[in-house]
Order: sequence, then structure tokens, then C-alpha cells
Amino acid sequence: MSENITVSSAPHISKPLSTRTVMIDVIIGLIPAMAAAGYYFRIYALILIPTCVISAVATEWLCNIIRKNPNSLGDFSGVVTGIILALSLPPSLPVWAAIIGSVFAVAIGKMVFGGLGANIFNPAMVGRAFLTASFSMIMTTWTVPATIDAKMPKIAPENMLHTRTQATPLWWSKKAIEDKNGAKIYNEQQFRATFTGEVGGCLGETSTIALLIGGLYLLIRRTINPSLPLAVLISAFIFATIVYLIDSDAYVQPVFHLTSGAMLLCAFFIATDPVTAPLTTKGMWIFGIGVGTITMLIRIVGKYQEGVMYAVLLMNAITPLIDRFCKLVPSGGKPSVK
Amino acid sequence: MKIDTKGRLTFRGGTHPPESKSLTSESKIRPFPAVKQIAIMLSQHTGAPCRPLVRKGNAVQAGQKIGDSDAFVSAPVHSPITGKVTEIALRSHPVLGRSPAIIIDAYPHYPTKLPGFKLNDDFDENDYSAEQICEAVRQGGIVGMGGAGFPTRVKIEPNPQLPKETLIINGCECCPYITSDYRIMLEWTEQIIAGIKLARKASGCSKVLVGIEDNKPQAIEAMNAALDHYANRDGIQVVPVKTKYPQGGERQLIKAILKKDVPTGGIPPMIGVVVLNVATVAAIAEAVIHNSPLTHRVVTVTGEGIENPGNFYVPVGTPVSELIEFCGGLTEEAVKVILGGPMMGISIADLTTPVMKTTCAVTVLTKKQIGAAKFERRQTPCIRCGRCLEVCPENLNPTKIAHAVKNNLLDVAESYYIKACMECGCCSYVCPANIELTGYIKTGKTLLARQKEKMPE
Repeated sequence: MSENITVSSAPHISKPLSTRTVMIDVIIGLIPAMAAAGYYFRIYALILIPTCVISAVATEWLCNIIRKNPNSLGDFSGVVTGIILALSLPPSLPVWAAIIGSVFAVAIGKMVFGGLGANIFNPAMVGRAFLTASFSMIMTTWTVPATIDAKMPKIAPENMLHTRTQATPLWWSKKAIEDKNGAKIYNEQQFRATFTGEVGGCLGETSTIALLIGGLYLLIRRTINPSLPLAVLISAFIFATIVYLIDSDAYVQPVFHLTSGAMLLCAFFIATDPVTAPLTTKGMWIFGIGVGTITMLIRIVGKYQEGVMYAVLLMNAITPLIDRFCKLVPSGGKPSVK
Repeated sequence: MKIDTKGRLTFRGGTHPPESKSLTSESKIRPFPAVKQIAIMLSQHTGAPCRPLVRKGNAVQAGQKIGDSDAFVSAPVHSPITGKVTEIALRSHPVLGRSPAIIIDAYPHYPTKLPGFKLNDDFDENDYSAEQICEAVRQGGIVGMGGAGFPTRVKIEPNPQLPKETLIINGCECCPYITSDYRIMLEWTEQIIAGIKLARKASGCSKVLVGIEDNKPQAIEAMNAALDHYANRDGIQVVPVKTKYPQGGERQLIKAILKKDVPTGGIPPMIGVVVLNVATVAAIAEAVIHNSPLTHRVVTVTGEGIENPGNFYVPVGTPVSELIEFCGGLTEEAVKVILGGPMMGISIADLTTPVMKTTCAVTVLTKKQIGAAKFERRQTPCIRCGRCLEVCPENLNPTKIAHAVKNNLLDVAESYYIKACMECGCCSYVCPANIELTGYIKTGKTLLARQKEKMPE
């Protein structure tokens, strides 16, 4: 009877919640985006997502063996990294490149720092940055969705050259800045295309509606704090509005920037990676505003079409600093010095 | 100031552990028969421990003072039974480890009687002077019965530097499982009203607010009905508050009702407030009107690990093992015996630990309630999800503090206000990684206190 009695520090009960359930929530949130990727890019999605997931998990398993660490696959964070990396890759990326990216993401992005919880940078973005730097050609080769007749892409603005490659909305936007025809490229048809996802781009970033559903799920489940996505989207929108008001010929309408590119994927799934984002709500706002603003700076001024990846990595780097400056004050105020 | 009475009042943060109160909420308070031998701890309160006033072999009467101290922050202890002092020896104390206690063997004993308090319609607290009440509270050995055990006299005595305006009566009982305060509010309503009036008179407060969580509508109703009958309201108001843990923390209750923050490291009188638990005010009524000291208290014996849970009126000093035995013993699956509730209670290994004035419950949990991961102490790395920050009622950063303590960086822990933590346990409760944040914070506080001792500033 009483020999079974154990002692420990209070509290003696805990919420039925684990790192695994948190990660499973994120995976569930990513299902609509994966489904959209499967619908629009068919065989590409079917190859790329499992490739990334398997190589990410395998890398984590190997790293654990090499470092003689206990197995950490049960927390499913490797799966999440694999999915997010796959969704942020161009659909036609060769399998070998996807494997290299996943291995680098997990090994260098996460495991060298000591595994989950210790990494500074978002592992998926580390992998993607590595691929972009190493194989820039294949990383900027875009495929149009399988639901569109490849020879007759109806979706690109009429006055633009369109080929099988180079059909992403952000490319239209970049081109518009040069040609000063931003007002023309974003009409109802284009909006519908970016909303449903029937448009060129990275595997999981094209469908606005799928990402919104997934993001909403995470918000309802309280897996992510609403401050972060709000900060990213609001700051990007404000930035886009300002440049649009300055020169509405060259720059596209502000909503365009929210629905195209990896903006929503970033706001709900990438920037919200808890390990690499600040802890406090105030910190999250600063982080989110930083991500939104840097993304827009790169999109508007920079040479790259897309800025999400570098924006997230740059802000990851200063997360510890943000945390240090956004210290919470106890609800009773700072204790008076005795 | 108008106070919302729709039960929407609350504080920032907090969490919702399963209430599990239905195990004992319908169980009436039953007198617990006196056992053969009891142990009265000499330190049952915050402050200086008592010196024994009796010696080995002395006969003691029920209600006789057997330990006292000259210190201001202290409270005497009394014998709940008539018997003989067998020895003064060390017994297991939930907080202090082995601590001196007076061991009393009972004479063939009459059964424990419930207070049976009856409030006369012509009761008038003005028959007693404030000094009389304070002295009776001091002599009655009354301490805060919600858990902290702060001597009540010190709390209610008027202090010219910190005049008190509002008296808040804490009937929240936010901790899961415990129903002792709930039963007191239902069954001893008159006694509570008398106690409230006396406490108000002694402290000089003009306003009294009784905070009760809205998951106890019957208690709210009973208090309201009794107030109508005995007090004509008379400046006493029942305030339903939102059900959320730790609503019964005094800082949280003040925040919810008055929307005021008690300064960090400060005490409620700094903003003109006194908070007393319902069980404490009931004890005040007994001590002042019946002149009987605090020798018994209501204890909820509960949890899935106990055969027949219930609420009992128990002589202070009764060993926990006797309580468990009386309730049919532990079940096969019982793995943890806790003095208090599962969120803040202290788990004990020695079941001969006696009931103290602050023991509001004995909760016995099984592995299922604790959760497998928690029971096996499987901790995973912190993923900085921020849930602990969200639930912290004091707006602290538990993960930073805990990791600072873990890495022995006590100065960092201090810079994140480790001392403002009241150890409610919300952070550990919600942590998906099962990190014992509260445990680390407690360790850090102890280490800091030891440092200060070694090298005073």
C-alpha cells in the first residue's frame, strides 16, 4: 500500500500536452497546404514531401546515434522541419537537391546546436538558404500547376512573356516595377489564382485559402500566438500600402503581397516556430514587424523575388536580443529596492 | 465603486485544471473521532515557532494552551483533546522536515463534536472592542487556514501606517479536489457571517467583499441568503468571480475584485486590503464568541486513490494515516499522498505526518491523474512555446527563471524577478515538455536565501 507512495515537487498533475502533441497540431495545420500542393503539383508534391520528411528524420536519427544521444524522433519536430522545407521548395527540384537540403537543415540547422530547443535559426529556412546559395538555378525554376495547360498559361498578365518557368506572382511584381505596369497585373483573375493556388510558386505557398485554413486551425488550437502572424501581415501590408500610394504604377496593390509568395506560409508556420521566435508578446510583435518589413524590402528593393527566407533568418539571429530587451515586468510592478 | 456581480471578474493568466470536486462536494462535514495519540507541531504557522508550555507527563485539557511564543509574528498552539503529554519529540513536518511536536496520549475520549454554532438575531459585534477581538484571535492561535498560515492577529490588527479599508473574504477554493471551504460556506454560513463582522470590527475596514468562484452557485446563494437574514447586507457583498486557478491566491483575488495590484514583494495592507479565508473567519467567530481556540479544522480527504472520500472535522495533530484508514484506506493504484491540493500541496512520504492548522485537504492521487509522463518525470527540452508566460498570474517569465536556476545563474534568476513567484504551479501544469518549472523556481529561492544567510548584503 504505502510502499508505492512517491514524493515530488508541486504541482502533482499536468495538462495532457506534450511536445509531440504540439508538433502534431502543426502537422495537421499543414495538411491543407500539402493537399493543395498535391492537387496542383501532383507527382512533384508526392515525391518532394516524403523525400524531405524521410531524409530529415533519418538525419536526426543518425545525428543522435553519432552523438550518443537518446532517440528524439518521438517529438516529431523532424517531420515538421521536413514538411515545411518541402513546401518552400520549387516543385520541380531534383530529389538529390531536396535530400541535401533536408540533411543540411536538420544536421546544421538543428542538431549541431544540440537538437530541438537549442537551435538559433529555423532549420527549414537554413536548409533552404543553403540550397539557394548552392544551386540558385534550380531553386528559381518554377513550374506551373498541373491543372493549367502548360503551353497556354492563362493566368499571367497578358502583356507579359510567359514560359513554363518564371510564372510566379512575385516575378510579375518584380517585372512590374521595371515596366511600371503594376496596376495592370493584378486583376480579379489573378487574385482568384493566388487565392486558390492555381499559380506558379513554391510547392506549398501558392494556395492562400489552404494556408488560411491551416493557420486558423493553429490559432483556434492556440498552438501559435496570434500576435506573430498579425505582426508579420500587418507590417507587410502597411509597407506595401505605402509604396503603392507613392507609385501605384510601379507597385502592385497591397493585398497582392499578402496572398502571393510565401507570406502566409511564413506568417503562420515559419516565423511562428517557437524555438526561434521571441518568448514575450511584445517581442513577438517586434519580431513579426521585422520579418514583414524585411520581406517587403527585399521584394520591393532587392534583387530576389522573395524575401521571406532571409527575413526570418535575420530576425532569428536577433531573437535573443529581442528577448533580452522585452523583459516582462511582474504584475505588481518592479520590486522597490530595499 | 460598483462591483460586477455577474461572475466575470478575473485576473490575467491562470489555467483550468480538472476540478474533480464532485468526489466530496456533496459529502457533509462529519466529526472525526479522536485517535489514541496525536502530535501537535510547534510550528504550524509563518513566523516564530512556539516553545512548549507543558512537560512530559503533564496532563492537558482540551483547549489548553500547550505552546506559545513571545514573538509578534507567531500563534500559540492548543491541545484538541484531554490527555497526557508522553513526550516532546521530532515528527515529520511537510515543510520543515523533522520538527519538534508535543505528543499527547488521549484519555478515553468523548467523540469530536461539531462546533454547532448558532448565530443569535441579536448578535452585535459592537459588544466586543477591537482590542478584545484581536486578543481573542491571538490567544485562540488563529492563523490563515487557506495554506500559508500567517498569524491572523497580525493581519487584522489596525496599523496606523497602513490603514485598511476593504476586507476581502476568500471563498474561492480554486484548487482542484478540495471542498472543505465549500462545505463550510454551506453548513456554517452563520458562523462565517459572525466571523466576518468581528473581523471587520477588529480591522476597521468599511467594506467587506466575499469572493466566491462561480462554480459554487449554492455557496453564493447560501451566503447571500444568510446575509439577508442576519446582516441586512450591512456593507457586506458577495462577489462571484470567474472560475480559474489560482483565483484563490490573495493577489489574484484582489486583482479580480478591486482591479488593483499588490506591489511586488509587498502585502495587501499596502493598498488598504486584508484578505481572510472563510475557514479563518469561521475560526475567529468561535474564538471570540465561544472563547474556544483553533484546535479542529475541516479537512477534505479526497482523490481517486482513496476508497471513501469525504469532509471531516478533524482534531489538529491527527496523523494522516488515521484519516486515510478511516476513509477505507488507499486503493491499489494510489501513488501519491498530498497535504493540500494537487497544484500547490506538498507530497509526503511519512504518513504519520500530523494534520496542521493549515491542512485543508489530504489528496491521494493515482498514476492516471498524475499522467504517465509527469509520474515518470520524463522531461523534454524547452521549445520556448511561451505557454508558461501566458498562464503566469504574476506576469513572470518562468522558463527563463527555471533555466537560470538549472544553470546555477542565480543573479539572472533574480533579474527575472524569481522572488515575485508565488509558486502556484500553473507553469509546470501547462508545460508540454513537462519541465518542473515551479520546482526549479523553488530551488532557486532556497539557494538565494542560503546565499544571503552566508553573506548578508
